[in-house]
Amino acid sequence: MLSIEEESTSRTSFHPYRSTMRRSFLSLVLALAFGGACGGDSSTGPNSQVNSCPAAGTQSNAMTVLGCGNFKPKRVTGEISVRGTTAYTTTWNNGSPTSAFYVWDVSGNVPALVDSVRVDNASTLGDVVVTPDGKYLVLATEYSGGSIVIFSLDDPRKPQFVSRFTNAETNAGVHTAEVGTVNGKVYAFLSVDPGGGTPPRLVIVDITNPAAPQQVYSRVVGAPFVHDTFLRDGILFLGLWDGGVAIWDLGGAGLGGSPANPIDVGLLQTLNGHVHNIWWLKDPATGSARYAFIGEESPGKVGTSSSGDIHVVDVSNMASPQEVAFYTVPGAGTHNFSVDEQNGILYAAYYNGGVRAIDVRGDLGTCTSAQRSSPVNQAVQLCDLAKMGRELAVGLKDRSNAVYVWGVQYLDGFVYASDMLNGIWKLRAVSR
Amino acid sequence: MRTRLLSASLVCLTVLSPLDARAQHEGHPGMATDAKADTTSPHRLHLMAQAIPVLTRAENTAAGRDLTEGYLAQVVGMGSGRLFSGHLAVDVTLNGEGLTMRRGELSTGAFGEGFVDRRHPHTYLHELIASGIGAIGSLKYSGSAGRGFVPYGTDDPMMRPFEKYPINHHLSQILERGLLIGALRVGPAILEASTFGGEEPTSPSSWPRASRFGDSWSVRATALPTAGAELQASYASVQSPEQPGGFGLDQQKRSVSARFVSANGERYLLAEWARTDERDAGRDVAVFGYETALVEGAVTLGVVDLGLRLEQTERPEEERLSDPFRTPRPASDLSITGITRWRAATVAMAFPGATFGPLRGYPYVELERLAASPRAATDIFDAGQFYGRAPLWMASVGVRVRYGTMHARMGRYGVALPAGPPLHMLGVDSTRSSGHAQH
Repeated sequence: MLSIEEESTSRTSFHPYRSTMRRSFLSLVLALAFGGACGGDSSTGPNSQVNSCPAAGTQSNAMTVLGCGNFKPKRVTGEISVRGTTAYTTTWNNGSPTSAFYVWDVSGNVPALVDSVRVDNASTLGDVVVTPDGKYLVLATEYSGGSIVIFSLDDPRKPQFVSRFTNAETNAGVHTAEVGTVNGKVYAFLSVDPGGGTPPRLVIVDITNPAAPQQVYSRVVGAPFVHDTFLRDGILFLGLWDGGVAIWDLGGAGLGGSPANPIDVGLLQTLNGHVHNIWWLKDPATGSARYAFIGEESPGKVGTSSSGDIHVVDVSNMASPQEVAFYTVPGAGTHNFSVDEQNGILYAAYYNGGVRAIDVRGDLGTCTSAQRSSPVNQAVQLCDLAKMGRELAVGLKDRSNAVYVWGVQYLDGFVYASDMLNGIWKLRAVSR
Repeated sequence: MRTRLLSASLVCLTVLSPLDARAQHEGHPGMATDAKADTTSPHRLHLMAQAIPVLTRAENTAAGRDLTEGYLAQVVGMGSGRLFSGHLAVDVTLNGEGLTMRRGELSTGAFGEGFVDRRHPHTYLHELIASGIGAIGSLKYSGSAGRGFVPYGTDDPMMRPFEKYPINHHLSQILERGLLIGALRVGPAILEASTFGGEEPTSPSSWPRASRFGDSWSVRATALPTAGAELQASYASVQSPEQPGGFGLDQQKRSVSARFVSANGERYLLAEWARTDERDAGRDVAVFGYETALVEGAVTLGVVDLGLRLEQTERPEEERLSDPFRTPRPASDLSITGITRWRAATVAMAFPGATFGPLRGYPYVELERLAASPRAATDIFDAGQFYGRAPLWMASVGVRVRYGTMHARMGRYGVALPAGPPLHMLGVDSTRSSGHAQH
C-alpha cells in the first residue's frame, strides 16, 4: 500500500519551478506594500498565503475579484473542485515521487488554506472531483503507477484516505478522472495516457463501494490521447484529441449500452482537433440540450502562451453531431469549463487569457454573416460567439500579474479559478 | 535475447577485425598524426569496436543535485564494406548503450527521447545502410536505404573530438530513422534528398514503424571548396517526431555549417547554426522555435591535443517525471513548460594513447561550464531555481578504448561521403573515408 500522508503544515519543501529570488523579491514588495503581510520565503510556501491580491487595472468587462489564496505557491496549481464551502486544488509537475493537494476554506471572500495532503507515487495530480453525493474525493495520478486515489470527505476539511485503484491498464498515468452516476451506481471514468508502449485508453471503474473499486470496462481510444470525459443522463462524451469527440451510450440513449458495455452513438471531428474536454449543456430555463461545448487544447507554453478554441456542437442528433459555432481568444487557448446552467453562462479557464464568461443561452448556430468567421486555418464560416456579443466578461486579465488558469468552477454565485502561477482565485459570478 | 544478439554481434565484429588489418592503424604516439592513415587507399572492409569508460562529475545538475557517475559510454561496433567493385557499400553500427547506460549518460543540458540532463542511450541497431553507387561521366550518384542518419545537419557527435555530446544533438542531427536517400555529386558539389519516418525511437530496442515511413523528408547541399573544407546547408520536414503514432507537433529544421580539417588531421574546426520550428499542423502555425549556434575546434600541440567547444542552444522544457532526468514519452499533450537558453563552454584535453594487445586506449579529460536561463520571464520552468544559482559544471575523465579505427564520418552515405582528411586528435583516430566522393 502506498502511503498517503498529511503534508506538514510547517513544511516548506523545495520546489524546483519557482525562483527563490523572485519569490523573495515579491515577498519584499508585498510586505512593503501591505504592511508586512508576509515576510520571507516561508510565508509564500505551500501552507501559507498572501491575502492581498495584485492590484486591478482598468477593464470595462472585468469580473470582480473577491480574493486570492496562497499567492505564488511553491507547487504548481492544477485542477480545482469545490463543494459547499470547501475547495480542493491539485498540484502539477511536482518533479518528485510525491505530490500534494490542498484543502481550502472558501466560505469568505479570501480562500484560506486549511490543510494539505500528500499523495505518494504521483509526480502529478492532474484532476480532482467530488462525487455527486459529496462524500468522496477522487484524484487522478500521473505518470508511472497511474491511479485514482479516493478520500473520504466525512470531514470535508480533513480528507481521509480510503483506497487507491491502479492496474496494468492505468499504469502509464491517469490524466483525468471524472465521476458520475449511472443507474444508481457511481463510476469513475479514467482517461489513461499512452506510455511505456501501451496505447491511450478509457477505463471505467465502479466506485460505488469506494473501498473496493472494480474495473468494469476498458477500451483503447484517442489519437493520440484521450484527455477528458463528460457524463450526463447515461450518455458519455469523450475528448479523443485528433480522434474527435465521441458519444457513448451508457444507458441513457436507449441503445442498450451500460458502463460495462458502452455503445457508440456518434463521433465528430471538430475543426483543428485537439479535443480536450466537453460540457453538454442542459438549460433548465429553456429545456434545451442542444449544444455541447468542446475545448480544444492546442499547444502552449505554460505560464506564457496557449492556443485552442471552444467549439459549439449541435448534438440534437447525437448520431450526427454538427459543429455550428466557435469562440476564440487571440493569443490564448481554452482549458476546462464550468457552466452556470441556471443563468446560461459558461465559464472557461483560458490559461493566459484568464477566465471567460460566455452567454450560451439560446440559438448559437444562427447568426448574421457579419457574425461569422473562420477558425484559424479553416475555410468554413461559423457563428463566432464573440462577434455575436456573447462574451459577457473576462476575469483576471485586469490584474497586474500574469495568470495561467487551468480550471474553473461555478458554484452558488461565485467562480473559483485555479491558476497555475498563483494559486486560487475567488470571483463574483456574472449576472445577466 | 536482444542482449545475446548484441553481444554476439559485437564479438563477431571483434573476431572479424583482423580481416581489416590493412586498414588498421597502430595508433600514434600521443595524438600525433598517423601518416599512414592519410595515404591509405579506400579499403573493402573496415571494422571497429569501441567503449569509453567515463567518470563524470556534475555539479548543479537536474534538481540542483551534485552527482558523480561512471559507466561505459559509446559502446559501439562499426563495420563498413564495399562490394562489387565499390558499387555496393554497407555501413552498420551496433550500439550497446542500452545495456551499459540505460538510464542515460549524465550530461547537464542534454535532452531528447524522454531524457533530460542525460544523453539517451542509442538504439541497439544504430545504423544499417546499404548504398548502391554509380557514375555517368562526371556525375556520381548513389541510392541508400536502411536505418541510419537522415541527410540533415552535421556529423554525429560520436565522430567528433569531444566525448560529451553537445546540447544541440536533437537540433543538428536526425538519426536512427528508416530512410531512403538519393545523392548526386558533380565535382565539389553534393546534393542529397531523403524520405524517412519521422518518429524518434522510444527505447534502445525501438524499430522504425513501417506505417510512418515516408512521412518526412530532407534535402542537404554540400560544397567542398578546398581540400579539407566543407560547407553544408540542409532542411528537413519531420512529422510528429515526439508522438510515435502521429498527431504530434511537426518540425521544420534548418542547418548550415562549415567544417575544416587540416591535411594532417591535427587541426579541426566546425561552426554550425541550426533552428527547429515546431508546428501545429492542424492550425498551420509555428508554435515553438529552438535555435542553436556552435563552434568547436581542436588542435594538436606536441603530444597533447586540446579542444574547445562553445555552444548556445535553446531547449524545450517539459513536465518531468518523479525522476527529474526523465520526461513523459510520449508526452500527454502538446504543451511545454518553457524554453531554456543554454550556454556551454567545453575544454577537452587528450593525452598520448597506449596499446594493450589489440586494444588502443586514449585517455582524456573534459571540463564544461554551463549557464541556463529562461527565454521568457513568465515561463513556468525556472532554470535558476531548478539547477541552483551557482555555476553549473561538469568534469569527465575517461579512456576511449578501441579496436580498429573510427570511421571518418557518421551521417553521410554513398557519394555524399567526402574523402577529406581524417581526424587524429582527442582520441578520434578516424581512418580516411572509403572515398565514394573523392575530392
